[in-house]
Amino acid sequence: MKPLLKRIYNWIDERVEIDGLVEYMGKKYVPVHRHSVWYYFGGVSLFLFIIQVVTGILLLLYYKSGEELAFESINFIMSKVQFGWLIRSVHSWTANLFILSAMIHMFSVYFEKAYRKPREITWVTGMLMFFLLLGFGFSGYLLPWNELAFFATKVGTDIAGVVPVVGKPLMIFLRGGTEVNGATLSRFFGFHVAVLPGLFTVFLGIHLLLVQRQGMSEPLHIKDESERKSMPFFPNFILRDLTLWLLVLNLLAILAVFFPWELGKKADPFAAAPAGIKPEWYFLYMFQTLKYIPGTLWFFDGEVLGILLFGIAGVLWTVVPFWDHKSSRGEQNRFVNYLGLFAVMYIILFTLIGWLA
Amino acid sequence: MNHKPEVPDQPSKRDFLQVVLAGGVVAFLGAVLYPILSYLIPPKQAEVEVSSVKAGKLNEMEKDSGKIIKFGTKPVILIRTADGELRAFSATCTHLDCTVQYRKDYGTIWCACHNGKYDLHGGNISGPPPRPLDELRVVVQGDDILISKKT
Amino acid sequence: MKYYTLFIAAAMILALAPKESLFANDHCIECHQTAGDKPSELFKHDIHFQKGVGCSGCHGGNANAEDMEQAMDKKAGFRGVPKGDDISKTCASCHSSPEKMKSFGSSLPTNQWEFLQSSVHAKLSLKGKEHIVQCITCHNAHGIVPVKNSSSPVYPLNVVKTCTRCHADAAFMRSYNPSLPVDQLDKYRTSVHGLRNAKGDPKTAECASCHGSHNIRSAKDVKSKVYASTVPETCAACHSNVDYMKPYKIPTDQYEKYTKSIHGVALLQKHDQGAPACNSCHGNHGAMPPGVESVSKVCGTCHALNADLFSKSPHKKAFDERELPECEFCHANHEILPANDTLLGISPDAVCSRCHTDHENVKGYRSAGRMRQMLDSLEASERFAIHLVENAEQKGMEISEAKFKLREVRQARLQARTVIHAFNEEQFQTTIHQGSIVSLAIVQEAKNAVDEYYFRRIGLFIATLIITLVALLLYLYVRRMEKK
Repeated sequence: MKPLLKRIYNWIDERVEIDGLVEYMGKKYVPVHRHSVWYYFGGVSLFLFIIQVVTGILLLLYYKSGEELAFESINFIMSKVQFGWLIRSVHSWTANLFILSAMIHMFSVYFEKAYRKPREITWVTGMLMFFLLLGFGFSGYLLPWNELAFFATKVGTDIAGVVPVVGKPLMIFLRGGTEVNGATLSRFFGFHVAVLPGLFTVFLGIHLLLVQRQGMSEPLHIKDESERKSMPFFPNFILRDLTLWLLVLNLLAILAVFFPWELGKKADPFAAAPAGIKPEWYFLYMFQTLKYIPGTLWFFDGEVLGILLFGIAGVLWTVVPFWDHKSSRGEQNRFVNYLGLFAVMYIILFTLIGWLA
Repeated sequence: MNHKPEVPDQPSKRDFLQVVLAGGVVAFLGAVLYPILSYLIPPKQAEVEVSSVKAGKLNEMEKDSGKIIKFGTKPVILIRTADGELRAFSATCTHLDCTVQYRKDYGTIWCACHNGKYDLHGGNISGPPPRPLDELRVVVQGDDILISKKT
Repeated sequence: MKYYTLFIAAAMILALAPKESLFANDHCIECHQTAGDKPSELFKHDIHFQKGVGCSGCHGGNANAEDMEQAMDKKAGFRGVPKGDDISKTCASCHSSPEKMKSFGSSLPTNQWEFLQSSVHAKLSLKGKEHIVQCITCHNAHGIVPVKNSSSPVYPLNVVKTCTRCHADAAFMRSYNPSLPVDQLDKYRTSVHGLRNAKGDPKTAECASCHGSHNIRSAKDVKSKVYASTVPETCAACHSNVDYMKPYKIPTDQYEKYTKSIHGVALLQKHDQGAPACNSCHGNHGAMPPGVESVSKVCGTCHALNADLFSKSPHKKAFDERELPECEFCHANHEILPANDTLLGISPDAVCSRCHTDHENVKGYRSAGRMRQMLDSLEASERFAIHLVENAEQKGMEISEAKFKLREVRQARLQARTVIHAFNEEQFQTTIHQGSIVSLAIVQEAKNAVDEYYFRRIGLFIATLIITLVALLLYLYVRRMEKK
């Protein structure tokens, strides 16, 4: 076996000269410290992305887009296709776990200030991927064309339409018209399987390249050089990563068997919205906030104000490497910590309120 | 003195763990690939067993003509000869599965894809088709033409 | 001497004179009789006259006055001949007053006018000013005698003639209700009631027995005695009265049986106006519904499919030869209970065993046994299929298609209950077989669903074992690698 692998390696190396790259990778080390457990969440997110691509492609083989067929095709997958229930439930659960994992990854990087120089672009591409991820969730949610998804999309695109100036054209662009109907479904399908994956892959490529090139960021408060412990990326960290990935896969299988993803009722545009309709948990905190903002504040429309505030918050969060100069200098930045803490608390609190209301 | 430093029997232990690990990995890959490969096999679509089909009215079927009828999920060609006799055959060409048609000018059943020809008893007489067309039973009930499988 | 005989004659004339002259006060009738007036002739025999109600009782005026103009003076209350509704109002002025009637020692009811006013006869006549019918229309005006008197127009034997005076007159009836038939009498005379009535039996039913006398309402009126769901009660008034029916020697339990039957429950409890009452099978006026040759053949007018199957079956000839009523023989006539599977078969409570035993009509005996077995096996199969489907459903597996197919099995069982009337084992078997095939397919689908349920869990368990093992091994491997 070894000679064979060696032969293949040599064959490639003679043509592409990967020897240098392999040597370089072999020198990569991962810092080991109190907080290094957070390092795993990037990998878990990557693993979940791979799961989504694989299960997504499998679903594509049987999914039929279009108002008349979408719901029925998913029903078909769940009941008639061998292991269709598994593929679909894994895909739906992974979507949620992916967003959760990405959020943990994002916040852990934030609190470690890993976005500081020289890793600003890594952070920005990460944030862009996060926004694309929310887009993935929003567009994918509609594809079964069921009751909940239909109304969630209606409400979501309505909110997009509220943004001043660009809102209405944006809403029409998203919906493929003025109403949510078959055109919206086609459009969302295109976004979900082609546009978003394409963009995501570009940013992911940049992100991973930078991480490999720059190595892992170390926390600011490492005092002693002697305290610096590390482990090789290949094979130690990779193997640990893989072990964790295995356990995540097992978790997904358990969720798929014991908590299969529901399909619900087919969407009926003429039916009334079911009582207590609310978006998926990753949008819930924004949804709940908008509910609490009064109709008009000074001379601003409450909803517009809420959306703009979130928009501004998102932008500021994305460009944090550029206004947090203290961290770039290696100093502790208490303000950033408090801001982050506030954000986490706010999100958790409002998600809970939205869930229990 | 033959005082050998204590060297634990590493190679066999390493091999055991490696072997079991490799075995486990193979089992794992199997457990992942088995559902995916099964998924790829298309499920059987419940085919409604059609035993007979009404193919229209006798007075609507001209002599020396043919038409294609839907028999469950498959096409069937109904011929009325110049003498007025009714015959029915599977319309799936035995060459590469195109749908055949009746050609009045040839007086035969003809396949447009590769110029295959069948006589009016379904026999393959010219071109690439390797086998004759399957025949079906035609019965006239009152004014209705009924096509059914040959038992 | 001459004067003496004259005196004796006058005394004799006085003694033998009719009672009316005793009422020396009532001069109306004296005068009118002398004048040869027909009403006053009739009034002699009138019950009112006998009870002391003279002409003035209805016509008003002064009965004591000898002078005509005094007697018939409007100021004395003379009303002349009442016209229109005034006629009935005049009767009602006494007959609707319980006190007045009591003062004459009468125990007659006093609700006739009230009833009449809400009856169908209270509709306006062609003139548009009065009811079609007044009291005197049926009771006459001047020769009124009690109902029990055989010369009364409303004596049971005379009622028919009284009613048909109008109701058999097509031209007359056309102006009021062209849709009403006018052949009731003809039909009635073919029935037992009509025949007995013609022979002079006053106990048998005539028009008023069913339709009422004063409160006659349209059959479509809920309060009518002949409203669909009231008919059984109306018939039972005589036919369930054991004492009344004694001389006729026919059963008196039909109503009781009917109320327990499926038809009775449908009509009387579920208020299904389509369900048959007595008249649906026995006819309204005639002995049979129109177009039916005998009561035993009447079931087919509603249960056409079963009757058709029966008439093509071998039982038709067999029953006719033995002069057995068709449907009634197996299903009873009044106490028709919902059909169930126990009717078929060779057990003692099955109707087949009445003629088919293991030494009599043996071919049918064996056939009945087999058909019952087929029916039972399909029922068991259906129950099993339902049980399995519920099991799969409870486990959360998608089984809606199989559940829908269950309807087909049920339908096969229902159809079998109809097809049995052809008494053709082959036909029966085909129907049952169709149901069995579907049932077996459902059982298979449900079994597959449950198997899938367990397959998923077992599969997960195995996968978890493998993953846990590999994860553990990897961890050990890494640990060992790092120790070095």
